[in-house]
Amino acid sequence: MQIEPYDCHTRCGPAEAKLSINGVSKIYGSGSDSVQALIPMDLMVKEGDFLCIVGPSGCGKTTLLNLAAGFDRPTTGTLMIDGKEISKPGAERGVVFQQGALFSWMSVLENVAFGPRATGHSAARARELAMDTLRMVGLDEFADKYPYQLSGGMQQRVGIARALTNDPEVLLMDEPFAALDQQTREGLLEEIRQLWNRTGKTILWITHSIEEALFLATHIVVMSPRPGRVCASFRSDFGLSQDPLISLTPEFVAAKREIFELLKTPSVQEAEVT
Amino acid sequence: MTEVYSPTQLKSAAAPQTSPRKRLNDRWLTFGTFALLLTTWALTTGMGPWDPIIKPLFLPSPALVVQAFFQLLENGFQGKTLGQHVGISLYRFSVAFFFCIIIGVPVGLMMGMNRRFRAILEPPIQAIRPVPKIALLPLFLIWFGIGNLSKIIVIAAPVFPLIAISAMQAVQSVSEKKIQAAQSLGASRWTVFSRIVLPASLPGIFTGIRLSISIAVTMLVAAELTATSEGIAWMALTAAEFLATNVVIVAVLIMAVIGFGLDRLFWLIETRIVHWSGKESALVTQTRNRLSSLAISIFRAAQRPPYRVRNRHL
Repeated sequence: MQIEPYDCHTRCGPAEAKLSINGVSKIYGSGSDSVQALIPMDLMVKEGDFLCIVGPSGCGKTTLLNLAAGFDRPTTGTLMIDGKEISKPGAERGVVFQQGALFSWMSVLENVAFGPRATGHSAARARELAMDTLRMVGLDEFADKYPYQLSGGMQQRVGIARALTNDPEVLLMDEPFAALDQQTREGLLEEIRQLWNRTGKTILWITHSIEEALFLATHIVVMSPRPGRVCASFRSDFGLSQDPLISLTPEFVAAKREIFELLKTPSVQEAEVT
Repeated sequence: MTEVYSPTQLKSAAAPQTSPRKRLNDRWLTFGTFALLLTTWALTTGMGPWDPIIKPLFLPSPALVVQAFFQLLENGFQGKTLGQHVGISLYRFSVAFFFCIIIGVPVGLMMGMNRRFRAILEPPIQAIRPVPKIALLPLFLIWFGIGNLSKIIVIAAPVFPLIAISAMQAVQSVSEKKIQAAQSLGASRWTVFSRIVLPASLPGIFTGIRLSISIAVTMLVAAELTATSEGIAWMALTAAEFLATNVVIVAVLIMAVIGFGLDRLFWLIETRIVHWSGKESALVTQTRNRLSSLAISIFRAAQRPPYRVRNRHL
């Protein structure tokens, strides 16, 4: 078990890539107020990859996810999914948010059935599909509850179920467990691993936690801030492991240290300058 | 990870944790306040063992007020029954309120959704808002005659902008995440509006409506100041001219009951429809202070440049 550097730009040709990011940069604002959130970057995500983008706040990881989701347009470059350019949000890219994105006025079942309804399935079919996913994430008995009647961890599982029900090509996850407590998070991370094993979905997962990235990912892209850029990328075996306690092994700790050093360096330099 | 909160637990989680016993004690304290007020009123106005300290001309005793109420019920006031006076006032109030809601809410929603619409309508509405509407009453009398129409319009004048602007702000404060979530689930613009923006705005819309009730009752008094010879506020004003203080107090109490009753009614409708409001953990405190924060945000809206778009994705 180990991590090894790989070139995230040339993981595969653009034609084979599920999600390809080509020369994408983002500048917010204009004139002297402008902020370079992301300097031009390339990234290829192959089908079935579990790619974690890890970095401190301000490194542009959420910007990147918003671009991939189509919530925002890049300043330069293009993002493509299955060779088609991304210009707006779409059902083929499921998004899971940190929290507070469930529809509070709908029951759990209505939340999860929203996707299939919006993409043109009949009400009955949408219900059926929603019940299937709810069963998969173990929430079928809570179908008639409202989101506010569930704990934070269960709400996030509803969010994941909702995104999964549309059977998207890519799942985009924006720090979905960042607001949860440690115990809940660890349980859910294990569930996500199994879910990925079962469904083989392509997942783009944003996190600031190195441990989370190592635990889940097959590929890890490390980003650093000011301006946001890719500073390293690794292929990882830990995500394929079945061991829920993998994070206690010396190899895991060594890998964690390696990435930690990478992320530490720029801020130390910054501190010395000021 | 599998705990589910029961509705009752949730209610107490949203409110500060108090035991039923403590809450009962609080009830008694509130009751005590009213009892003290009523007793003071009774004792100073002749119901005590001594002579009235305050003359009935200024403040009749509770018994006299009750008596006046039954007399009014029986004999009516100035040729009309009490029911007719209350009825005509409720009619003026309801017509004004009804049109404010069915026009104001959609206008507000459209202002919230569409920046061009907002650019066209928000400045005139904001410009009219600070004008004291009572001052417009003479103008309305000239324009709309001395019938009910001018009264309805003077009630609607301050209510309409309040309802429209609170609906607009409700739309603007819909969580961007929820809109993005719906969009990435494949929802069309119409679905985003009807199933996300509209329900998410309902709590804010209700707050605007409930804030408007007390304003509308106030305007009812203004509307019945002149050019009418019926209505509950007119009854109070006319009785005051004859120094019939007991009738004035009956009329004022009836208006208080109407205002309070309507507020409770809309509150009941609100809790039925927007059952989720105030229960989103992160939003609890925010929503609890909704009434005051809305008043503040409306005030701020008047100061902010009108063309800014907060929800980029609408």
